[in-house]
Amino acid sequence: MSVLSSKARASALPDSDRLFGVFTVGATGLLLVTFVLVPLWAILKNSFVTPEGIGLDNFVRYFTDARFVTVVGNTFEVGISVTLTTLVLAYGFAYAVQRTCMPFKGVLRIIALLPVFSPSLVQALGLQFLLGRNGFVNRTFGTEIDIYGFWGIFISDTVYAFPHAFLILSTALAVADARLYESAESLGAGPWRIFRTVTLPGTRYGIASAAFVVFTIVITDFGNPVVIGGNYSVLAVEIYNQVSGQANFAMGAVIGVLLLLPAALAVTGEKWIARRQFASLTSQSVPLVPRPNPARDAAWFAYSVLVALAILSLVAIVIYASFVRLWPYNLSLSLRHYQFDVQNGIQPLWTSISVAILTALLAIVFVTGAAYANHAFPMRANRILYFLAILPAAVPGMVLGLGYILAFNTPGQPVYWIYDTILIIAVCNVYHYHAQGFLLATTNIKQISSTFDEASATLGATKLRTVWRVTLPMIWPTVLAVGVFFFMRAMVTLSAVIFLITPSTQLAAVSVLYLDDRGALNQAAAFAVCIMATVVAFLVLTQLALRLAGIRGVNLVR
Amino acid sequence: MFLSLRGVTKRFGSVLAVDHVDLDLSEGEFVCFLGPSGCGKTTLLRLVAGLETLDEGEILLEGTDLSGLPARKRNFGVVFQSYSLFPNLSVARNIAYGLECRKWEKEKIKARVGEMLDLVHLGQHAEKHPHELSGGMQQRVALARALAPEPAVLLLDEPLSALDAKVRESLRGEISELQKRLGITTIMVTHDQDEAMEMADRIVAMNRGRIEQVGTAEELYWEPATRFVGEFIGRINMLNSPQLRAGFDGSAGEAALAIRPEHVVLSEGGAHSGKVRKVAFLGNTMRLGVEAGGQEIEIEVHGRRRRMNVGDTVTFDLPVDRVRRLAVSSQ
Repeated sequence: MSVLSSKARASALPDSDRLFGVFTVGATGLLLVTFVLVPLWAILKNSFVTPEGIGLDNFVRYFTDARFVTVVGNTFEVGISVTLTTLVLAYGFAYAVQRTCMPFKGVLRIIALLPVFSPSLVQALGLQFLLGRNGFVNRTFGTEIDIYGFWGIFISDTVYAFPHAFLILSTALAVADARLYESAESLGAGPWRIFRTVTLPGTRYGIASAAFVVFTIVITDFGNPVVIGGNYSVLAVEIYNQVSGQANFAMGAVIGVLLLLPAALAVTGEKWIARRQFASLTSQSVPLVPRPNPARDAAWFAYSVLVALAILSLVAIVIYASFVRLWPYNLSLSLRHYQFDVQNGIQPLWTSISVAILTALLAIVFVTGAAYANHAFPMRANRILYFLAILPAAVPGMVLGLGYILAFNTPGQPVYWIYDTILIIAVCNVYHYHAQGFLLATTNIKQISSTFDEASATLGATKLRTVWRVTLPMIWPTVLAVGVFFFMRAMVTLSAVIFLITPSTQLAAVSVLYLDDRGALNQAAAFAVCIMATVVAFLVLTQLALRLAGIRGVNLVR
Repeated sequence: MFLSLRGVTKRFGSVLAVDHVDLDLSEGEFVCFLGPSGCGKTTLLRLVAGLETLDEGEILLEGTDLSGLPARKRNFGVVFQSYSLFPNLSVARNIAYGLECRKWEKEKIKARVGEMLDLVHLGQHAEKHPHELSGGMQQRVALARALAPEPAVLLLDEPLSALDAKVRESLRGEISELQKRLGITTIMVTHDQDEAMEMADRIVAMNRGRIEQVGTAEELYWEPATRFVGEFIGRINMLNSPQLRAGFDGSAGEAALAIRPEHVVLSEGGAHSGKVRKVAFLGNTMRLGVEAGGQEIEIEVHGRRRRMNVGDTVTFDLPVDRVRRLAVSSQ
């Protein structure tokens, strides 16, 4: 009896696994080149193009203009000061949550994460209601605080960046080896010394990582500075002014390059740190469990409540303002701002939801697809693929959006047909947040033992069958989490998409900006509330659906 | 020959994991790859399975070269060390998996799954999921899953090492019996010499990517060819001191002369004498560490004897027919 089937002998034919591998890796690579590299190249090219030909003229013109130089200085001033403040505040908050026995940790945690559920301009909007010229404080106490400018951006971006720092630091503080603390204590170290010699060094990578992440978020943020920056301009706003205000694409590209550099450096730094983050815990470690200490717990609780109230107040006042007749003159409650009798009415919200759903679906296919392709097919091209997949982390939204205009807004261009549709907005969202989704999926795919793949292969399964029958059934919670992540991002993002919308594809977050710009603050607030409500409702519904399906323990917000 | 390895070589970077291995297996044979961790035994098995690609050499199944044939087309059943059962599929679906890949008819699959479940005595657990089963049961399902598609060769990669001692013992017997009954050519990788000696028809002793010796358990024990095999399987004394080596072939040269502890004969007026340094009483066996001729020599005696104490002087003989001349292991 021959043990090999005749089909098996014909191994000269292209193997279906190979074809599948080449196809997925190739398709992923092509998409990444088209929607990440090409736009970046367009930015770079345009920054050097002048009426007299290729040269550095644009950059020279930029740096000889004192106003532009100030903008660079402003950006760094905000970036550094917000980063330092956020780190200290978030470290304390994360410490209180992870290392003390204070009550209401769950609620405090959710409040700390609130800013993630709203567009970045909502913090500034709330700050206007609170501390603006006609804000709550100035009207109540008769003060004349002027919040527009550095301090406005400083406060709103600190709140905006807070959850991102909190999540990273919280993870860093969550794991600790109790044996270290016990030895320190038995050697006679006091609490402050233990903190300095054990806690702080144990979380230094988390701190560094959070610092880079917050710095990137702040210098690339557009929503808060544009609303509350006043005459204090930063690079992200300046791109918008140059492109949307003056149609000066070359100067927009120059500023894009200037913004790209520090963001790229920060992301490189973060990745470098992250690679060093292993091996602090071994399998013999004893997890540290905080012990009750009434005085300490009360102090940390007071601190956490204070921070939470500050964050909550910015959200609460937006919600409140959306329900009053005319802030701040007539505070009687009313639903008139929810009639949306301005602009396109409520249409932008529906557009946003369509875009968010489309973004989530595309991301589920292409981002988890990229993670799978990178993992399952060891090829030489994979290093390049990996680099392209996480490159977007270093690309500020404003830069990517401008890149899309420069690269794709040319009739005859192969992807011109998606221009002016919601598809280009969804695609832009997918590649704007590609790195985060890709890393999330990769981490989880890697956690699945390769033995499953091998067992499946030795049983005669093709890779395609293995994906359907084995891999997907195991990683679907992650796939779902990727979808949820992209839905949320797409609902609240403002920076990249601001260049890509048209009157017929107006988005909710942009509506908030336009309404605020026109001084229709109450309507802006109502629109912002609708966005937040949609995101929260989506999360709750997804979680509920999972519960009904009898599935527990799936973490959707990561 | 049914399955032949010819000059099989695999490198990982600059490390030579498998170094020009030649081996022939006849149909229905049970062969164990035995060696310490890192000796290349698992890599060799993975090369046969098609999970790694060869750098040099060829693997022939009934004369057909398998290189270029991916794992899924080789029709080899593999059982892994960690229970690699698909957690999302029931026991029955796990076993049916390979049959579905081969597009068997539904009826035939059902019959075959039932047959396999009976074979491993898990008939009543068909609809359970892997996490509901004990480690031993999971490994039996893995065995059934690997055997269901009637593979040409069965490959077992340390299938018992994740299990606790009791279960391991009973599964050893079960696997051996199954293998004999089905008459399937089998390769098992293990680092446990007892396991290899109990189960295998032939043992392939491996060290540093090379085969040191191939033979039955008896051959490897009584006639170890190399120092490595002698030391890895059972215990052995290397005779280094000129005093003890005197009178044997090649005693003057570099030849490695060795004797197993139980072959050293304690006798009044023996040719050698030494001082007892260690005494270990192990029931029917007593193991002595004796210093003689400037080296330590281990002596094992059986049955009831008078008690020995540290510091006693003993005399012993090294029977000529029991002293083995070993090849120095490759490098």
